Amino acid sequence: MAYVATRGGERAIEQSQRLYRAEMGAITPERVAETRRALPYLIDRLMGEASLYDEDLAALALAQTGGELYEAVLLLRAWRTTQPRLQVADPVTQDSLLTHRRISAAFKDIPGGQILGPTLDYSHRILETAVLSGETHSPDPVTPADTPAPAQHPSVAAWQADNDLLTAPEPDRTTGNDIPDVTREPLLFPAKRAHTLQSLARAETGGVLALGYAAQRGYGQAHPTVNELRLGEAEIQVRHPRGTMFSAGRVKISTAEVVSKQGAELGLGFSATLGWNEVKVIAAATLDLNADGAEKGSPTEEEFFLYHTEGVESSGFCNHFKLPHYVTFQSSLDAMRDAKAKKAQQTRTPEPAE
Amino acid sequence: MSLKSLTRDWEPMSYGFLDASAKREIRRKMLKAIAVPGCQMPYASREVPMARGWGTGGLQISCTLLNPKTKVKVIDQGADDSVNAASIRRFLARVSGAPTTLDTLEADLIQSRHRIPEEKLRDNQVLVLQVPNPEPLRPVQPNMSIARQMHADADYGRMWLQLYEQILRAGRVMQGASYPSLVNGRFVMTPSPIPRWDVPKLHMAKHLTILSAGREKRLHAVPPFTRVEPLVFDDVPYRVEEHGALTCTRSGARGFFMNEIPQDDGSSAFEISDSEYGVKTLRQRDGEAVTFGDTWYKHGEMAQ
Repeated sequence: MAYVATRGGERAIEQSQRLYRAEMGAITPERVAETRRALPYLIDRLMGEASLYDEDLAALALAQTGGELYEAVLLLRAWRTTQPRLQVADPVTQDSLLTHRRISAAFKDIPGGQILGPTLDYSHRILETAVLSGETHSPDPVTPADTPAPAQHPSVAAWQADNDLLTAPEPDRTTGNDIPDVTREPLLFPAKRAHTLQSLARAETGGVLALGYAAQRGYGQAHPTVNELRLGEAEIQVRHPRGTMFSAGRVKISTAEVVSKQGAELGLGFSATLGWNEVKVIAAATLDLNADGAEKGSPTEEEFFLYHTEGVESSGFCNHFKLPHYVTFQSSLDAMRDAKAKKAQQTRTPEPAE
Repeated sequence: MSLKSLTRDWEPMSYGFLDASAKREIRRKMLKAIAVPGCQMPYASREVPMARGWGTGGLQISCTLLNPKTKVKVIDQGADDSVNAASIRRFLARVSGAPTTLDTLEADLIQSRHRIPEEKLRDNQVLVLQVPNPEPLRPVQPNMSIARQMHADADYGRMWLQLYEQILRAGRVMQGASYPSLVNGRFVMTPSPIPRWDVPKLHMAKHLTILSAGREKRLHAVPPFTRVEPLVFDDVPYRVEEHGALTCTRSGARGFFMNEIPQDDGSSAFEISDSEYGVKTLRQRDGEAVTFGDTWYKHGEMAQ
């Protein structure tokens, strides 16, 4: 309880951060640029979980945290939350997406065609160890198709709705600032549809996968068929204060539709996120598919999976157990010791039989 | 019209870190919480530059209440010198320019994790308690939406049953910290994981207490002069930790909540948990002129 203890604490904090960063060395503009260039899928995952589309900031967050993903997401979220919202973009429709990859497991062929696009799905997972002995591994160049695939495609669910296989969800006509924003309002249950989809979009990939996988293994009622998985780019259309519409650029997004037989109709689960992250949207769409009517407290119930896939909250809380808890612990010890003493006393002086 | 006329000049950070819309929401929710004592008010709970579970709820309240003249004290487990308390204090001072203090008597705003200082708080002081879990019903109902309905119905039967079961099984109420308490005769709240020792300090207190859970996005309040009654049966009185007769081995302070320090010889030594009260005691022993405030506990007993 020395007088200098406070300063000592602050010094310890400072030094512990230096120790953490010492191993990473200097963060240079080149390092950030290289991180962005070399790790696009990690950047995508990060941008999705941060719900902030900025590849440079995401690369900076990775460089600044040495790749500690939870820390990197928190850095971006804390930055994002203080930024003013200047504009809300126009809604993006599925058939307006500039599509890079689009596959359906439901039909052999689909209107608009299957587009394999960029994927490691069929790669043989063999390490290029030669690189470690000094060789450079350059990917073989892509041979373009004779006829390029069309850039835009309708959704498979739209075809199914036309053919009376499923009831398409009622289109939500809400626009602009009237769209409920889960980052500016509390999440309450039953959740607004917008809050559910937004929460899933920024959920932690591993968490969504764990619970989505649980549902897929049988803890959910609905076995998903991937109706359509899509990687694309969405045009961000915003209105200038003068009234003219203009494009603020394109963002990479992933979407998944999964369906399952529910009586005579197909049930539909949907998810979309910023960046290309296939596992996340398939798992999230599975949860969405299973949420309707799920039992309270089951892993496929909305409240359960939305709370427990929020990465900033879950990782922060898990980490907080490192903080001192000696007051609460002391309080428990007091009750335990007293209960023990009471028990000992009782065995010494047994109550007379009635 | 240009973008420039619609927005303010870019600044890297707002005053007090949070932007105006976040502060406005928190002010409104605090007013509601004060109007309905003990009732949990959901709020958006923005991300702050600290990890969830590390005091982000308390931090958002402090950031909203601070001005450059507010004297801030931050404690964790009773201690000003704990690393996380030091970190939060430095952050608050950095984003607001507010002066800081370690002395409970000098503070205008006290952000605390798991303790209420031993010196009585005045009517012009605000206590902000960090809350990990705002829901006292969690042990009997983990589902937030159902628990919310139970509060609305004042359906606390399972809380009583839980206490009764503990008495039956262990011979006493086993709840350690976070003792569920009835506020203003209506809402059962968690007082946050303060020890049972501290709960009576909230009853009819002069100061305002705001309890805020950042991760769980809920805040509640105990306004000044509000009844806070721990849930107890008529024939099983409320019992605080048996610390009234303990003496701090470093400062000699006696009759306050202590930290137990296991010793090599198998025994235990005790140190006062309210670290600044201990420092004051040491200073007085060294002959310095020190002002002690009135304490809630006198000679180890809660003053009636």
